Amino acid sequence: MKKFKEDLKPPFNIKSLFLIILLLMVFIISAQRVGMPDIIERLYESSLDLVGIKDSSKIGNGLSRISREMWPPVIESKKDTNLILNFDSENIPFNSYIEKSLVKSYEINPESLLLESTEENILFLVEPFGYLKTVIIKIIESIEIAFWASFISIILSIPLAYYSAKNYTPNKLIYFFSRSSVSALRAIPELISVLFMVLAFGFGPAAGIMALGLHSAGFLGKFFAEDIENSDKGPQEALIALGASKWKVLKLAVLPQVMPQYVAYMLYILDRNLRMATVIGLVGGGGIGQELKGRFDLFEYGHVTTIIIVIFIVVFIFDQISAKLRSKLIGN
Amino acid sequence: MTNKLLTIKSAKKKYDGGINALDGVNITIHKNEIVAILGSSGAGKSTLIRSILGLVALDEGAIFFKSKTPIVNNFQLLRSSISTIYQNFNLVSRSTVLTNIILGKILSISSWRILFNAWPKGIQMEALALLKEVGLEDMNLNKRVENLSGGQQQRIGIARALIGDPELILADEPVSSLDPETAKEILKLLKMTAKKKKISILCSLHQVEFAKYFADRIIGMNNGKIIFDKASNKLSKLDLNKIYK
Repeated sequence: MKKFKEDLKPPFNIKSLFLIILLLMVFIISAQRVGMPDIIERLYESSLDLVGIKDSSKIGNGLSRISREMWPPVIESKKDTNLILNFDSENIPFNSYIEKSLVKSYEINPESLLLESTEENILFLVEPFGYLKTVIIKIIESIEIAFWASFISIILSIPLAYYSAKNYTPNKLIYFFSRSSVSALRAIPELISVLFMVLAFGFGPAAGIMALGLHSAGFLGKFFAEDIENSDKGPQEALIALGASKWKVLKLAVLPQVMPQYVAYMLYILDRNLRMATVIGLVGGGGIGQELKGRFDLFEYGHVTTIIIVIFIVVFIFDQISAKLRSKLIGN
Repeated sequence: MTNKLLTIKSAKKKYDGGINALDGVNITIHKNEIVAILGSSGAGKSTLIRSILGLVALDEGAIFFKSKTPIVNNFQLLRSSISTIYQNFNLVSRSTVLTNIILGKILSISSWRILFNAWPKGIQMEALALLKEVGLEDMNLNKRVENLSGGQQQRIGIARALIGDPELILADEPVSSLDPETAKEILKLLKMTAKKKKISILCSLHQVEFAKYFADRIIGMNNGKIIFDKASNKLSKLDLNKIYK
């Protein structure tokens, strides 16, 4: 009875109270450091602005300026014909036309040192869907980056998973190195590793593929290894009792069990790499991100809107496809 | 030694925590003999079966299989002559009926065939014949075993055991997870097949009635020790009281 009473602990005691106060203090200090009060204040101010109690808010002012310039999205391309090499006005691309526009340009007169404006008629080649075509070509490049990065990660993660699974690794040293590699690959974010990959592979898709591939190999290696460790031991024991070697046990008793989960992980990684492939271009990893960064720096927000819409459509479609594939594979 | 198939001498096994799973066990299994081990949970039945296969290392004692030299660390030859049937069937649930049966012949299939699941035609035909033998002639060979009932899964487990042409079958509580009717059918099938193919069986069981029906000889175990070892028709209530205290 005495033992039973000792086991029955009250839900709270002085220790838990102390812990709660300590946690609260950490929360308050951290919130101050990262500017949480400012976030709350700005959100409060903008909600008052939204319902009409206040005339303006910092969030509203900041966003309304850019949102006005973001609409409508730009899908046509307009190029100065003087800048097109060997331009032939008789032989222009299908569905495009030439437009004459009066362009005002400013120059400083060297004699009077005054700013003078001159007007000039310039011929532009207009392609109604020209820019959309460029964005689609770029997003296809991003999809390709995601695909190859996922492929590399799958190839790399198979040996990593085998040596990182406690029940299959040949010895503790290999296990340690393998686990450490998996953790290291996961620990370095793609946006950081792509900077190094740019140094190694130059600007463009190759750097992006390597950065994404290495990072996701860390993820897949960890997931695969844990699945191998946690798979049902019964069939494995049955095969060991029949005299099967380690790899045969892995192939025949472990793989069939973990395969649906593997496929689900692979789809998730492909899905994630697709989203990340649009981002890594911002730092030189190729694909649509590079185009996005360029347009953003030139304040061409209409073009930015087109890019964002296309990214959204592609990610949404892929999300739907992978969700269906995943449920089909795990469901069966 | 001529009629002896398997001999276990002075087997001892103590688990961490001081539990004596095997405490000086001596058992001999003869050719074409069906032996049942009776005992309550924790008596050491499963440890005994697992130690024969080398899945549990003995602290002391020796195992002899058709030879006067004990098996030391090399269990491969023994594993190729012994098949096992498990309480939870231990089938690869997401694999097909055919693959699961063929796994019983894993040692005679080349690595590249295993890599691509390209099973030899002869072994496939053998699996088909065994399916008929275990009473599943209408079974679709390409069905996943996870979609089968417990009784059907254990029949597949028996077929997997038989395809390896074993001299001895070890059965670790093969009917514990089945209903009484199915359990009886499975034991009947196992007994008839063993007698027909001249296979010895060492089987751990919980139910006394099943053991009496199934085995030629019954061994009673309690706390890792053998309490009795006698012909099943000579088993008395007094013997049973000693193991189910």
